[in-house]
Amino acid sequence: MTISAAPDVVLDHLSKADGSASYSYAGYAVTATVNGPIEAQRRDEQPFEAIVDVIVRPAAGVGGTRERHLESILCSTLRHLILLKNFPRQLFQIALQITSVPENDYVNSKLMQASSSQNLSVLPTLFQTAILALVSAAVPMKTTASATTIAIPKDYGSPLLNPTPRQVQTSSSIHVFAFTRQGDLLLSQSDGSFSQDEWDVAHDIAKDVCMEKKREEVDVMLDDDESQTQNMADLIRAEAQMKTDSDLHWK
Amino acid sequence: MAQSTVPMFSAQTFAKLSPHPYMLANLKPSDPSRPSQRTNGRQPKQSRTLQVNTSSLTHANGSAMVRLGDTTVICAVRAESLPVTEIPNYRPASSTGPPLDEIASYDLLVPNIELATGSAPEFLPGVPPTALAQTLSTRLYSLLLSSGMVQVDDLRIWEKSEDDNDDNMEDGDGDGDQELGTVPETPGRTLRGYWALFIDVTFASYDGNPFDAAWIAVLAALHNMKLPRAWWDADMEMVVCSPEGSEFQKLHLEGFPVSCTAAVVTERDHAEHSVGKYWVLTDPDRREEKLCDESICMVVDCSRRGDTKILNLSKAGGCELDKALINEFRQTAENRWQDCRAALE
Repeated sequence: MTISAAPDVVLDHLSKADGSASYSYAGYAVTATVNGPIEAQRRDEQPFEAIVDVIVRPAAGVGGTRERHLESILCSTLRHLILLKNFPRQLFQIALQITSVPENDYVNSKLMQASSSQNLSVLPTLFQTAILALVSAAVPMKTTASATTIAIPKDYGSPLLNPTPRQVQTSSSIHVFAFTRQGDLLLSQSDGSFSQDEWDVAHDIAKDVCMEKKREEVDVMLDDDESQTQNMADLIRAEAQMKTDSDLHWK
Repeated sequence: MAQSTVPMFSAQTFAKLSPHPYMLANLKPSDPSRPSQRTNGRQPKQSRTLQVNTSSLTHANGSAMVRLGDTTVICAVRAESLPVTEIPNYRPASSTGPPLDEIASYDLLVPNIELATGSAPEFLPGVPPTALAQTLSTRLYSLLLSSGMVQVDDLRIWEKSEDDNDDNMEDGDGDGDQELGTVPETPGRTLRGYWALFIDVTFASYDGNPFDAAWIAVLAALHNMKLPRAWWDADMEMVVCSPEGSEFQKLHLEGFPVSCTAAVVTERDHAEHSVGKYWVLTDPDRREEKLCDESICMVVDCSRRGDTKILNLSKAGGCELDKALINEFRQTAENRWQDCRAALE
């Protein structure tokens, strides 16, 4: 049960920020802006490296404790990717505004907020948008990375990629993974009740989705034309390539 | 040629001036005969000893004080009755329709974390809750809900009808089992309210690994807490409790989740292309936490022998911990579970 619609990406659509991106996939939509490197506040600045400030705004209302939690996860992950040492005493500010979340008719929105697994399922979209916005702002990074969600159903069925809120609610565990394009595990957040084997299975599926395919593999897959799942690493590369092509069109 | 004098620093000065090389000097001693150890003298997989004191607070229904090295946490659980008339959007449970998660819908568990001023130098007085405190309370709340440890049946308050005055007292344990289904309303009894549990966690002293310490404190306090027998009095239109000490009931907690945290220190300070050595340090203290970017936290429940359930896994901040290392870390978490179980009993 994968979502057939391709992810929707818009790069650099906000003129006042250094970089911006909108990304929507599997019912979640997020807009991100990146400003940086900019001057850090004197009391925050670090003499040897840049600091990263992530702000998450929910679709409705003001941010609460769960946004702080998402911010802290994203901040520690992005810090690993950005070349902070090159920008001492500077600041990178990443603002993420959630613009839509998929509806779940079965429960009210309050319950959606309370449940931690629902909190986690927005994380890949936030992460993906942040990476796209960083690319759009031309922030020097070690590598790019991509993230995905996997739910393991209660009835020991096959793991679901990009589950809907209803599927998340009826699953026994939910896993969010982020991998660098080289295939290193960067982020893993799991919730629910699961065994090591289930986690291993989810890990392998997610790695397959997030890691960059080798050239020959891509060709084979295109020939077969049955690649149902979108490869996230390829998506970032394709979008960046399209953006550069259009920017250099005048030459 | 003047003889150059080698400046001599004490170990503390070295540690303060350049903490990362100091840590590496201990982990990777130049003299191979010396064992590799952490700056605090522990082995990489060694946790600090856990001390648990329960029931130290008089006015809380359940309380615990947990010491994990120099991290000291006090947890107090206070129960307050919540009549259904005071719950906004209260929806009586029906036999049709999907079962409602009452604990989450009616906010029956309210955790709060306070990092007290003076528990560590970075916590300043008079500021709003820091990002760390907010993150911790979200994680605590998530784990309380997703572990399903607290049973809603312990928290329900019923109207005492005329005919079952005596039955109710005797089958205190019995009706716990029969009510677990989706239909809580048995004929002759009406649900009139709930106990809401306010779980307050205060850090008296902070020396790293806040989540593990806070969770053990919550676990100990919940295991320790007792609720008075309460019922709805129709004449007074309020919840009344029995003062009899013998009628206080413990909660029927499901499972025994224990969390275990580790941090990863790399050889090069924030290496750009990390190819150097790294060490996984279980139960990091405050100094180690500052030097580590990557961390992992795993919540395991080994209550059922030979069948370890993982309830939460959170890893962020780096690429050193891969699938194999996380599998290996589960062993550490399982050992930690045994230690915590022993400390709480």
